[in-house]
Amino acid sequence: MIKAKEITKSYGREQVLKGINLQINDGDFAVILGASGSGKSTLLNAISGLERPDGGSIFYDNSDISGLSDDELTKFRKNNVGFIFQQYYLLPNMTVSQNVRMGADLAQNSEYQSIIEAVGLGGKLNSYPSELSGGEQQRVSIARALAKQPRVLFLDEPTGALDEETGRQVLDYIIKLWNDKQFTIVMVTHNANIAETAKTVIRMKSGKIAEIYTNDTQKNSYEIGW
Amino acid sequence: MIIKKQGVKLMIPAIMAACAVFICALFLNYRQDLLLIESQIIPEQSVYFEAMKTTSVVVCAVAGGCLLITTAIMLIFYVKHYIDTHKKQLGILKALGYSRVKIAANFWIFGVSVLIGTSVGLCGAFCFMPWFYDIQNKDKLLPEVTLGFHAELLVFLVILPTVFFMALGIVYAIFKLKMPVLMLIKENFRSKARRTGHINNDGLFLENLKKTTLKSRKSLIFFLMFASFCYGAMTQMSLSMNDLASPVMGGMMLFIGLLLGFVTLFLAVTTVVDSNTQTIAMMKVFGYSQTDCKHAILDGYRPLSYIGFGIGTVYQYALLRIMVDVVFADMENVPTYEFDFAAMFTSLVSFVIIYEIFMVAYSAKIKKITVKEIMLRE
Ligand SMILES: Nc1ncnc2c1ncn2[C@@H]1O[C@H](COP(=O)(O)OP(=O)(O)OP(=O)(O)O)[C@@H](O)[C@H]1O
Ligand SMILES: [Mg+2]
Repeated sequence: MIKAKEITKSYGREQVLKGINLQINDGDFAVILGASGSGKSTLLNAISGLERPDGGSIFYDNSDISGLSDDELTKFRKNNVGFIFQQYYLLPNMTVSQNVRMGADLAQNSEYQSIIEAVGLGGKLNSYPSELSGGEQQRVSIARALAKQPRVLFLDEPTGALDEETGRQVLDYIIKLWNDKQFTIVMVTHNANIAETAKTVIRMKSGKIAEIYTNDTQKNSYEIGW
Repeated sequence: MIIKKQGVKLMIPAIMAACAVFICALFLNYRQDLLLIESQIIPEQSVYFEAMKTTSVVVCAVAGGCLLITTAIMLIFYVKHYIDTHKKQLGILKALGYSRVKIAANFWIFGVSVLIGTSVGLCGAFCFMPWFYDIQNKDKLLPEVTLGFHAELLVFLVILPTVFFMALGIVYAIFKLKMPVLMLIKENFRSKARRTGHINNDGLFLENLKKTTLKSRKSLIFFLMFASFCYGAMTQMSLSMNDLASPVMGGMMLFIGLLLGFVTLFLAVTTVVDSNTQTIAMMKVFGYSQTDCKHAILDGYRPLSYIGFGIGTVYQYALLRIMVDVVFADMENVPTYEFDFAAMFTSLVSFVIIYEIFMVAYSAKIKKITVKEIMLRE
């Protein structure tokens, strides 16, 4: 369970997070929804242990990660979380397989090949990122994050750089993998339709939480009118 | 429009160009002036006169030439690296409809840094010359050498290099711009040729990363080895040359060795870290420790640097042997020359200390890299 209490964060004079309280249960599929500039990424970076908030605390189960040092935070990320970004940030000089090993080695996971197959890239083990389409690259980054066997997977606009159809496919992979494995997902998006695939929706507005609600039924990526 | 914030990095080749031109101008000008008094030389003076002429050329070739060539190579790589890393911007400008020549014309700026550097070097040399002429002839073994200005030095040491680098930047940019726009914009486009190597998917990630980091930029291997080569060769030479040449020359060697070593090492390691920023940031996101990052990115270069130092040691020994056995062969009272273990030891210890300090400094730089940085860069 992830619990955030009164998180604040400012850049210069501008307060980007103005006291955020939220709770995400284990196995949840939560989406943080909001307009551009509302502070979604900043919130995601804070609760995932990428950046320290200025104030407030973040609990994973009962331990507070907001007071950890840089090295301790790194270790925390190693053991608990996985990331997927809008820009895939694959390592350009390494093959698909080597990129996925970046995540797999951290968890001493030798089954990483099956994850690459699960995202449909079994035939591209030796390709370099520059030889893949955007959707394929994003699927590599999904495999890389999953190979790490994280407790919580954080995604920041994972379909943001993709066209609709490819975005749909990628989203579908994410939902399918979540159904299979039941880890916790926290995904940022500005697209209200994508939010319909989630269990819990956290809507943000100018650095505050506007509402939190649960979808009665989770739609799949083809049912949402994107 | 393309070049901003490059001032500092362009300063470095400029400083090196200044030093190179300084040394070359000093000794070449002296040699030219020596030639003018050749007719006044009486037979008893001729051996010394010849030796003076040869040392001028040797010092100029060894120290100045070494510097000149390095500066030139460094600038060539620098221009190439700069244009390569700005491919994307070039592509965008080209896509917007700017003509190739118009975009490429911006790269004349590289010539300016050479112009400034070489001019400063030449002026510096002329300021220093009166004093230099005095010490070269302080025992009055030769007739008075009068200081003259030789225009050919201006042409060969200042004007030609400037024009060359101005043209180089522009021509290389035009050449790059020949690529289709899409290829320019698509980052890290990989040509077929580069992936012929054996792909090892079985190795551990960190080991693979260490190898690919080394392999992806071979020019950096050259520079790092060269840095330690220069440091090793020049410091040992200056330390063991005390008996063979004037302290001024020894001092100059030492200065050049340190300068070349530091500057090259600085440039090379900066490039290593800069070009791997995204990799380092992602490793941190995933939870790789500071030690892992540093190990994978920087540690692969260490053995190569030590090899460079070794080559430098052999090189300087060979050079001094030749100088003593060939150049000074006809002269009397030339001290014997043996391999100087004390000098090697001093040089090696200081090299290790300096190298490791650099690594600690860059490790701190790696520590500061965050994923935010690369996200905001988009
Ligand atoms: N490193 C930074 N320095 C200064 N300001 C920043 C920094 N990072 C974020 N901001 C500011 O904080 C605000 C919120 O940024 P954030 O990235 O969290 O928004 P977002 O909701 O993710 O937007 P988007 O949907 O466009 O990604 C923005 O106004 C942004 O300009
Ligand atoms: Mg964002």
